[in-house]
Amino acid sequence: MAKDARDNWESPTQFVLACVSYAVGLGNVWRFPYLCQMHGGGGFLIPYLLMLLLEGVPLFYLELAIGQKMRLGSIGAWTAISPYLGGIGLASVVTSMYLCLYYNIINAWSFWYLFHSFQSVLPWAACPVNSNRTGPMEECEKASPTQYFFYRETLNISPSIEKNGGIQTGQALCFLLAWVITYLFIIRGVKSTGKVVYFTATFPYVVLFIYLIRGMTLHGALNGVKYMFTPKMEELANPTTWINAATQIFFSLGLGFGSLIAFASYNQYHNNFERQAIIVSLINSGTSIFASIVTFAIYGFKATINYENCLDRTRILLLNSFNLAEDSITINNVFEMIEKLNTTFPEQFAELSNKLEDCSLENELSTAVEGAGLAFIVYSEAIKNMPLSQLWSVLYFFMLLMLGMGSMLGNITAITTPLRDFKFLSHVSNEIVKNIRNRIFLQSKYFGKSFCVMLVVFKGLLPKLICTNTTFFYNIAGALQAKIK
Amino acid sequence: MLGQKFQTSVRNIFFFFFFFFFFFFFASDAAEGFKVRLSIKTALGDNAYEWNRNQRFLFQAAIAFAMSHHLDLEFNVSNILVCDETPRVSFWFVVTSPDDPSRLVGKESVELAVRASRSRINNILLLNDATLEFIGVLPTLAAPVKPATPSWLIVFGVVIGIIGAGIVFLLVSTVVQKKRYVADCGLVPIVAIKSDNLSLILFGLHSSKENEVAEEEDDDEEAQMKRMAGNEGICNTSFSECDRNTQM
Repeated sequence: MAKDARDNWESPTQFVLACVSYAVGLGNVWRFPYLCQMHGGGGFLIPYLLMLLLEGVPLFYLELAIGQKMRLGSIGAWTAISPYLGGIGLASVVTSMYLCLYYNIINAWSFWYLFHSFQSVLPWAACPVNSNRTGPMEECEKASPTQYFFYRETLNISPSIEKNGGIQTGQALCFLLAWVITYLFIIRGVKSTGKVVYFTATFPYVVLFIYLIRGMTLHGALNGVKYMFTPKMEELANPTTWINAATQIFFSLGLGFGSLIAFASYNQYHNNFERQAIIVSLINSGTSIFASIVTFAIYGFKATINYENCLDRTRILLLNSFNLAEDSITINNVFEMIEKLNTTFPEQFAELSNKLEDCSLENELSTAVEGAGLAFIVYSEAIKNMPLSQLWSVLYFFMLLMLGMGSMLGNITAITTPLRDFKFLSHVSNEIVKNIRNRIFLQSKYFGKSFCVMLVVFKGLLPKLICTNTTFFYNIAGALQAKIK
Repeated sequence: MLGQKFQTSVRNIFFFFFFFFFFFFFASDAAEGFKVRLSIKTALGDNAYEWNRNQRFLFQAAIAFAMSHHLDLEFNVSNILVCDETPRVSFWFVVTSPDDPSRLVGKESVELAVRASRSRINNILLLNDATLEFIGVLPTLAAPVKPATPSWLIVFGVVIGIIGAGIVFLLVSTVVQKKRYVADCGLVPIVAIKSDNLSLILFGLHSSKENEVAEEEDDDEEAQMKRMAGNEGICNTSFSECDRNTQM
């Protein structure tokens, strides 16, 4: 029996690591903690795990089954099931193309931040000085240094989506680098991807573990973790919670994009994917929970620092307005002193009331952020307050890079695999195909952040259709599987 | 002699009251004076010094130095008048002209003088811009250090150089492997027939028909192939990559 001249993973471990690397991506770090916070902390785990069981594992298993048994990319596999379903495969390839266009931009941002971490003073630690050298830049003072660095020095964001701000050379270079590295990773197909995933799948865990230790030892971290784990069970009555849990499982595992079919198509025919599907799904969810513990430790630290800074500013305001001795008000007795001064000097205190801030730890903790805002603004704010911040910054952004690159590998493979299956394209050397495709994708550097956000929001619609079709044909696929076995 | 001393002391008292009432009317207006605020405990913690007459004297001397340095006139400690001290350690000061003690030096000159020697004044009092505040005087911050090449560009250059080298190496090794394969086996893949689960790559002798359509699979996929019977190439089967698997 002559075997298929198809590439294969060198070992089942490579396949599992590839799936883990694809599934564990930026969404685990920046979307799941936000959802946890929004939908009642520890209580969110109930709908999440339920959806994992009902929706995640079965669909994951289904995709691996289709890919492994059909030994074709998504277009070929779906066409093989039924000629009328070939459109699903095509749709998933197109969706993966959209995904590739904007996902690498986030990698480009990670590169930008990573390269800027190799400085004695992190550029987002303080506002730059204005042209008169009399103080910080006005724009930066109104926002914060981290926000200024992200929106002005990184993106140079234009006032609205209608206004085109032109190409930022720094960003364009980092974007080019992101694509060049992606090309390097897929240049030999599964042979090169298989070696790369050993690193991209495992390194983020190393960094997350280091950050867990560092995060837990930070001042005020436990405030955040406590806040996360106190469940608010009334959120479970809210249908949005369940919808968000289902959506998160769906996107986190990367179902419906054709990547899993593509990865599985390179498997040996009798590979035991059932166990692997369960393992990868559990690893993915476990990573989400693990990452959210780290994130909440960081949140707690940031919130505590901000709260204490707020108290300090209030203290100085009181000292200056009432000309009291410096050590008469400390951070601990700020609130008592406010009461006392209010009663003793009511008119003077009334003048202050508009300048007096409302300091509350609860408010600081409840400011939930997701997405690029969390990863690039909130985290960098926390990092700049840590001692030896350059090291933590490099580690963190390198981890973001590995997470993003791992997911990119899956997305690209979802496109190359069906293209390779087409007979007229297998004439051309694979490297050239990938080269051409990369050049086309490089044009997407014209997309800015607004487009990224838009694409993130809308990319989900197509796979949702795929999902319904998939579940409908679940039985058919099951029957097919029985027949093939 | 006593009369003279009496006269100077009367004059001093007169000036004292003059400026006292001057400040009383103008302190909140701050026509020519500056409010200063010190945060000694914040700056020095346990090593904080007590604000007393001597420290005030040092402050006056520092301002006198700044004025002399800026205007190139000889200011004395008595030309710097300090008043309205609070437990916060904040006070107002004005500067009188050395030629005519009844005249005050303009606010703008004082501001410029203080800005010019700000770091010096800070160091004398062991404080910094944040803990020694002159209300209304903007600090002159250090100019940002701009290196010739931004540091991020250097790291970027290194990374993209390594990656580029890697890609070139991989592409070249692909080409070299193909050439070596042809040279070793004298075979060139001519035709590959692909059906669903089966694939045959038929090899022929290296012919001069260069425009033969050669379907190439990935170069290191020599694992599955059928060799033509008429192989005349010299194939060192122990070292070449021609035919790794035994065909059943």
